Amino acid sequence: MTDPRIREAASAIECVLLVSGEPVRLDQLVEATQAPPEVVIAATELLQQEYADRGLEIQAVAGGYQLGTRPAYAEAVRRYLGAAGREPLSQAALETLAIVAYRQPITRPEIEALRGVRSEYILERLEERRLIKAVGRKQTVGRPILYGTTDAFLRYFGLRDLSDLPPIEAFGRGAPNAAAAGAPASTDSKP
Amino acid sequence: MTNTRPGTFVVHTATFEGPLDQLLRLAQQGQVDLQTLPLADIAADYLAHARRDFDVDDVTETIWMLAALIELKARALLPQPPPPEEPPVDDAGDLEELLEERLAAYRAFKDVATALRALEAYQQRVFLRPPDEPDEPLLSGVALTDLFRAFQEVLARGRERGAEIPPEGITVADRMAAVLALLAAHPDGVPFDALFPPEASRLEIVVTFLALLELIRLLRVRVMQEARFGTIRIHARIPQEGRSGAEAG
Repeated sequence: MTDPRIREAASAIECVLLVSGEPVRLDQLVEATQAPPEVVIAATELLQQEYADRGLEIQAVAGGYQLGTRPAYAEAVRRYLGAAGREPLSQAALETLAIVAYRQPITRPEIEALRGVRSEYILERLEERRLIKAVGRKQTVGRPILYGTTDAFLRYFGLRDLSDLPPIEAFGRGAPNAAAAGAPASTDSKP
Repeated sequence: MTNTRPGTFVVHTATFEGPLDQLLRLAQQGQVDLQTLPLADIAADYLAHARRDFDVDDVTETIWMLAALIELKARALLPQPPPPEEPPVDDAGDLEELLEERLAAYRAFKDVATALRALEAYQQRVFLRPPDEPDEPLLSGVALTDLFRAFQEVLARGRERGAEIPPEGITVADRMAAVLALLAAHPDGVPFDALFPPEASRLEIVVTFLALLELIRLLRVRVMQEARFGTIRIHARIPQEGRSGAEAG
């Protein structure tokens, strides 16, 4: 039998997630429900179970939880909205974004050295779509802008955080610091 | 072109005599000692020549060639820069290793790009409420052509009076601030024409229009038109709490 406190918190969380429409962090749920964190965590787990065979699903994304439609019913939603899906990223944009995601913070010249082509335009488009942002400047000649990924990036790919990125084959100093826990340790990396 | 037609400028120096384009070609091939080439004398000779025989095309070409020579000489006079800060490459084996490493990195990124593509495809089939910010109708009922048609009407009015040079520069940033101030004073929005005061100069109209486009791009304003060819209204866009904070943070 489910703890009534957890059941109660789950219903409250369900409401918050419905009106939010974007990821709600654990501390925000604690604040909203006035329930202890462990109850809130148990309640989100309960909700995820309860939604298992429903049209909606609870996703853990960008450091929070969000209520979204299940991809299996995307066609029905699209027919209702009468809207075509959003344009997916171009292959070049996706590769550039991957480089930023795994090597952040990284400068444009460093990205271009990896891709072998100029990337100014693509970086501008990615910044405009808010998938990347300037996170600082490298203390070298010319103080080039350092790029990193945004929360919108995590939401775009449905990632919890950067450690949730698909594992990348170990090479050089490829693993981002934030993913150190999740990525396989690279023993053959050069200093 | 080395054929000397009458009136063509000929360079006379201690070490070279001939047309300028030939001198440039030899200099580019490294066959001229640039350190001792008296470019100032050549330029002075040419100026004297151009006073007698002026041809715009010829002058343009000659100035370009002289500039190219100045650049070459400047490079020759400057100390050589230190070798580029590439990672030390001892022999061909290391270079190959470096290239292979780079290729491996590139391949790894291509692989994860494929994985990210799958995640993108999944997430694009997830709909949230309310829709993501960029999907909001910022231009409801307004086609870009409507906006330009309205702009041309305003511009035509501005054109009727003689164009004046404004006493000080009008910047897009200033006009963006002015439009936002106007919209802040009118919570119900203003008609398109209200952005352009009747006394506005053409430059002011153009810059204001650019400011409007910029505000649309930055999601700061909403542009609405209820009926085709109806009045276009501009509203300030109230940033949503939390969402805008998350985007900025």
